[in-house]
Amino acid sequence: MNIELVLFGAFALLTLLSAGLVIFAKSAISSAMSLVATFFFLAGIYVLLWAHTVAVLQVLVYAGAIMVLFLFVIMLLNLGEETSAGPRLTLSRILGGAAAAGLLVVLVMVIWRIPAPTTTFTGAQAVASGFGTLPAIGQVIYTQWLLPFEAVSLLLLVAMVGAVVVAKSRI
Amino acid sequence: MNLPNLTSADFLPLLPAIILVVGACILLLSEVFLSAHSSRGYQAVLSTATSVIAGAVSLTLLTEPARAVFLGFGAMDPFSSFLTFTVCVSLALASLTAAGFLRKRGAERGEFYALMLFAGAGMSLLGLSNELITLFVNVEVLSIATYALTSYLRRGTRPSEAGFKYFILGAFSSAVLLYGSALLYGATGTTLLSDMSGPLRAAMANNNGALVYAGAVLVAAGFSFKVAAVPFHMWTPDVYEGAPTPVTALMSAGVKAAAFVALVRVFISVGSGIDAQLPFAIFSTLALLTMVAGNLLAIPQRNVKRMLAYSSIAHAGYLLLGVAALFVSAPGQEFKLLGPTALIGASPEDVARVDALRGILYYLLAYTFTAVGAFGVVSLLERREDEEKGTAWDLERFSGLAQRRPGWAFAMAAFMLSLAGIPPTIGFIGKLILFRAAVDAGLVGLTIIAVLSSAAGAYYYLRVVVYMYMRPVPEGAHTLERSWMTELALVVSTVAVVLLGILPGPLTEWIAQAGTLFTR
Repeated sequence: MNIELVLFGAFALLTLLSAGLVIFAKSAISSAMSLVATFFFLAGIYVLLWAHTVAVLQVLVYAGAIMVLFLFVIMLLNLGEETSAGPRLTLSRILGGAAAAGLLVVLVMVIWRIPAPTTTFTGAQAVASGFGTLPAIGQVIYTQWLLPFEAVSLLLLVAMVGAVVVAKSRI
Repeated sequence: MNLPNLTSADFLPLLPAIILVVGACILLLSEVFLSAHSSRGYQAVLSTATSVIAGAVSLTLLTEPARAVFLGFGAMDPFSSFLTFTVCVSLALASLTAAGFLRKRGAERGEFYALMLFAGAGMSLLGLSNELITLFVNVEVLSIATYALTSYLRRGTRPSEAGFKYFILGAFSSAVLLYGSALLYGATGTTLLSDMSGPLRAAMANNNGALVYAGAVLVAAGFSFKVAAVPFHMWTPDVYEGAPTPVTALMSAGVKAAAFVALVRVFISVGSGIDAQLPFAIFSTLALLTMVAGNLLAIPQRNVKRMLAYSSIAHAGYLLLGVAALFVSAPGQEFKLLGPTALIGASPEDVARVDALRGILYYLLAYTFTAVGAFGVVSLLERREDEEKGTAWDLERFSGLAQRRPGWAFAMAAFMLSLAGIPPTIGFIGKLILFRAAVDAGLVGLTIIAVLSSAAGAYYYLRVVVYMYMRPVPEGAHTLERSWMTELALVVSTVAVVLLGILPGPLTEWIAQAGTLFTR
């Protein structure tokens, strides 16, 4: 058992735990803080996958910039603790829950049965190819991945305009 | 370093989308120079003109040779160019409808038209996406634009509810689509659809088939949300009812068309690597449920806008029948989705499949003209004051319309006959081509159910006609405001619906070119 496997196990478990807290926390602030923790542990998994740049961006942009905005909004809205009782059980909820659980079982079985990969991508190979570094990403993003890159820039523009339209007080 | 050589030939298929985006940016920037009370009549004209130019460009692209562009990330083929044309038709008609709709409410803003054009650009790009990540990003472009458009008018609870519901369920369906794509990537190691068939076969041979199946099923579920197939249709009636009527028109025509084209492209690639039984089973089941449930649920509706929402579900069912026909394997013959050439429709042995592709395209265009026109009439009749009470779209509104506005009544009657599939309308020709393709593929049972359920549909379509022509004008009916732009949209759609129903020749010739799909 190598150190990478141990680290992966730890990060994966902590990601799941903090993601669970995001959903189950009573106050919105604790949810948001658990989300920050989730982003950090996810960044750890990215590092293990040799995607350093993505990991750094994850911490800087998501855990840093975006979560600050989240917290601002939550504090501005001044949300109290959630007081409503637990969700009531209705037929559609039971059926929906059963379907979701069934899907989970199927997916877990599918992933369980995947044979072990015959090739492993070890660190030495990654270092040699410069995988995950900024130059490598820069090279492919403006050449090979140009079409999706431009589509993403269109997406950001649309999201910005859409957010302004939805947030306008009155049209 | 190995730089790919991207030439103007790579950018050519993007031209309609670029025109739409430029038009949208002009509309956005022009708002900077306007005060709240400036006249904004030019905006609908500009938006319509942009869509018409983009549509004309996409028609000229129909004759371009099919090829892969952007290193296989996009596919330039008549199939995607024809989708862009359909999208531009729905954009132009929806912009004209929006002109009258927004003026009545004093809500004309450049952002509205800009978002419509952005959504159109997203649909056009979605049609040519040949790679899973590009595809997902473009699905998001068109979805986010339509979420914002749905909650554009926020005077009252309905639009906010509709916008929120659409956003939450849309985000959920996008996540399902993305997860399915991730599983397919995990099984094949590539996101390029054109490279997928080899690795898929290897994965199936390697005892990795469960992963492929799970991925394909999740991708299909994600798309089913977007095209509103039963049992993923729950959001449709509420969202279609709550959204501004021109946006509903765009959603029912353009969004659906783009989602169908992307779905066909994904599953032709995925289906070429796996047993075609899976996509066939998925789509024939969805088609059966959607056709029957959509028509049955529409029958009790007295709210015409809601009725049209259920009818759009039913029409998605007929289109799914066409998709299922693509994946029928003849008995005793090995199923081969990809012929000797990279073009589906180029080799003589896949005639049935080409017919299904053509049927889908024809039906999408026919439905676009008809549905956008029908929503145009609805938008002329509704009044803002009644929206909260929910009576804005009641059948009573149509009582005696033939005496008050004979032109509108005639147009609506033509649209209803076309939706029901009664000759001589474009809807009849569409159904004829689609159902014939399904029968040729051997789906006789499903086609019989489709015909029966569309016969059931005639009941609620013709009820609108009965109200318009055979009921007296109700006491105290409010005056009907006219809008020349919306009426222009009605004239164009009525002429298209009737004329192409009588003389389908020119269109079928275009479609004959458009039924080829680039796959490698």
